[in-house]
Amino acid sequence: MKLLSIKLCNFRQFYGQTPEIFLSSGKKNTTIIHGNNGSGKTTLLNAFTWVLYEQFTAAFTSPDLLINKRAIMEAEIGASIDCWVEIYFEHEYKRYQIKRKCYACLDKNGTIQYSKNQFFMLVAGEDGRWYPPLQQPNDIINRILPESLHQYFFFDGEHIDHIFRSNDKSRIAEDTKELLGVKVLDRSIEHLKKAEKILVYELQLIGDINIKTLIKQQTKLEQDKNNLVQSKQQNLQSLIETEKEQKKLSEKVIALSSNQQLKELKIKLERQEKYLKNELKESKKQLKQLISSQAYLVFLSDIIPKFNTLISTLREQGELPSGIKKQFVQQLLNRKNCICGQELIEGNTYYEQVKKWMDKAGIAAVEESAIRLESQVHDMQDKVISFWENVDDKQAKLEQCRIELSRVERELDEISQKFREYPNVDIRKLQDNLDKITQYIHQLQLEQGGIRQQLITLEKQLEMKEKEINKQKFKEEKQLLVKRRIEAAKEARERLAEVRSRLEKQFRLSLEKRVQTIFSSISFTPYIPRLTKNYELNLIENTSGRGVSVAASTGENQILSLSFIGGIIDSVRNWSHKNTLMGPDSSTFPIVMDSPFGSLDEIYRRQVAKSIPKLANQLIILVTKTQWRGEVQQETNHYIGKEYVLVYYSPKPDCEQDTIILNGVSYPLVQPSPNQFEYTEIIEVSRDNL
Amino acid sequence: MKEDVNVTQVQEPITSAPTEIYTIIERVLALEKSKLSQRSPRNINDDIVKIIKEVIK
Repeated sequence: MKLLSIKLCNFRQFYGQTPEIFLSSGKKNTTIIHGNNGSGKTTLLNAFTWVLYEQFTAAFTSPDLLINKRAIMEAEIGASIDCWVEIYFEHEYKRYQIKRKCYACLDKNGTIQYSKNQFFMLVAGEDGRWYPPLQQPNDIINRILPESLHQYFFFDGEHIDHIFRSNDKSRIAEDTKELLGVKVLDRSIEHLKKAEKILVYELQLIGDINIKTLIKQQTKLEQDKNNLVQSKQQNLQSLIETEKEQKKLSEKVIALSSNQQLKELKIKLERQEKYLKNELKESKKQLKQLISSQAYLVFLSDIIPKFNTLISTLREQGELPSGIKKQFVQQLLNRKNCICGQELIEGNTYYEQVKKWMDKAGIAAVEESAIRLESQVHDMQDKVISFWENVDDKQAKLEQCRIELSRVERELDEISQKFREYPNVDIRKLQDNLDKITQYIHQLQLEQGGIRQQLITLEKQLEMKEKEINKQKFKEEKQLLVKRRIEAAKEARERLAEVRSRLEKQFRLSLEKRVQTIFSSISFTPYIPRLTKNYELNLIENTSGRGVSVAASTGENQILSLSFIGGIIDSVRNWSHKNTLMGPDSSTFPIVMDSPFGSLDEIYRRQVAKSIPKLANQLIILVTKTQWRGEVQQETNHYIGKEYVLVYYSPKPDCEQDTIILNGVSYPLVQPSPNQFEYTEIIEVSRDNL
Repeated sequence: MKEDVNVTQVQEPITSAPTEIYTIIERVLALEKSKLSQRSPRNINDDIVKIIKEVIK
């Protein structure tokens, strides 16, 4: 953040609008603002903290009374008085304007009503125009210079050591870490851990996968199926062979038999049995075909009347058929002549009358379809009757066949019985064998049916298993993916933790070294600043070879604090310059300090004055005349780019006037007020003669 | 001792990470940085899960 300028309006001592106070940067990075006690130095420091963070320093009394008293007193009842602070700053080649504003209003009873303050931000576009930012203004400022750290950049020099009092030490550690980007790391690690937990939960939801067991079960089922198919084949083969044997035996029985009549009857009955069985099979097939192709007709009984009602309504309304077709009307219009001979010219009455028929006329294709459908539906009603007649016929035929077959079988059985009791032993034996074979065939047929049934069940089981395996495979892929994600989250977290540990260690050591360098360049004591792991800053005396804590004086503490701030700025600047992943967006830091030389003696004043312009990129120092002694002026002179004087106007009639000589010119510091109000004006010190 | 922090060495665990891990880290850090000013950023855990899911497909 590079501060460009600040402007105030009715802010505390500053009556009306101040001129724009431009702030120095670059090689001559220091702006000095002179002012006596009470002239508004602390106010000016707080103007920065208020506009940026809505914060005030401890030395700023009555922060509620921000608006200039004179402005309020001069205001008419009901009129509102503006109070604002506006600053321009530059950050990463972008210019920003921010303004914080509040109002006061004098009501009828003479009471001052204060409004809440409002915050505005504008960003300069590349076209030179100013636009509101896309993000929240507070977020933008916090990214550039976090609010929690503002006290290191905008501070009251006399109370600087307060920042480092023991109860604030943990905050310093936190704040420094934030500036480094450690907070970003901390949060990333914490949130990655939580993300990991969410993913682990997702993994649990997927559940256990038993794909191996399932595949084993599938293989077993397939094996069972193969065995069954083989058995079926064998059974079928046996059946064919046994049937052949049965036929042979039956022929033999007939051949051996001397009863011609019995012989012929048996042959005849066997033929009939064969024929009837075929007939039975065929009739069943026909019945099935009939049902599958025409049974739907039976279910149309409710729909057909509805359809008929619909058609007859259309017919009653004259919509079916409409009597005149659209195509016909279109033809008349195209040939521009009516059937009555009247000329149809676009726009004339006859043309319009004929054209109206276009809406009334029906579409030929739709009408044709409706009529065709109607005749088909009518046929359907007749078909239902013939369907039932057909079904009855087929069933009657089946019944007939069954009766016939059972008669034939019975007669055949009687013949077989006769053969069983036949006088000829051979025939009896043969018949006995034949009976056994018939029994065996029956058994084989039962087996065949059983196998078929088992095969159906197995195939269903296999199908289910296959589905289950596919589901599990999908789950397995999902599980693998979630596992990979968990691993990635873990690895990212571990790597970040390692970075944090390296950063903390390295940064703390490098910061300590810097603080030591700065401290020793200012202080004449042999004390050495030490930074603990928690960023607690202590002074150690090491002359006896053993580090002992030192009870530092106020001045020492002040120098220590300045060294620490300088060290932080320097280290963070160096760190963020090279690091884009987690460090702050800033690599340029301003310091605005009020009375930095208050409790220091001459040597320290000189040393501090010599060091501070090098600490920050930009420095704004608010000083009293007494603090601006020769050594401070000498040491900072070649860094000063801008210089201002705060002129305090006192309403006290006999006030002691005061002046300051800067660059050989006398500037007023205290002057009598031309009215009953006290106020401050800011004037720029001319540096033209330098 | 060198006073500057050795950024390369500090960031080595990130820079040496496999591409997918590097992308996750880069995106998570950018997200956290953008929400640093919020005390408890909303839905940040879900956003991070989303990043991981987008990177590891």
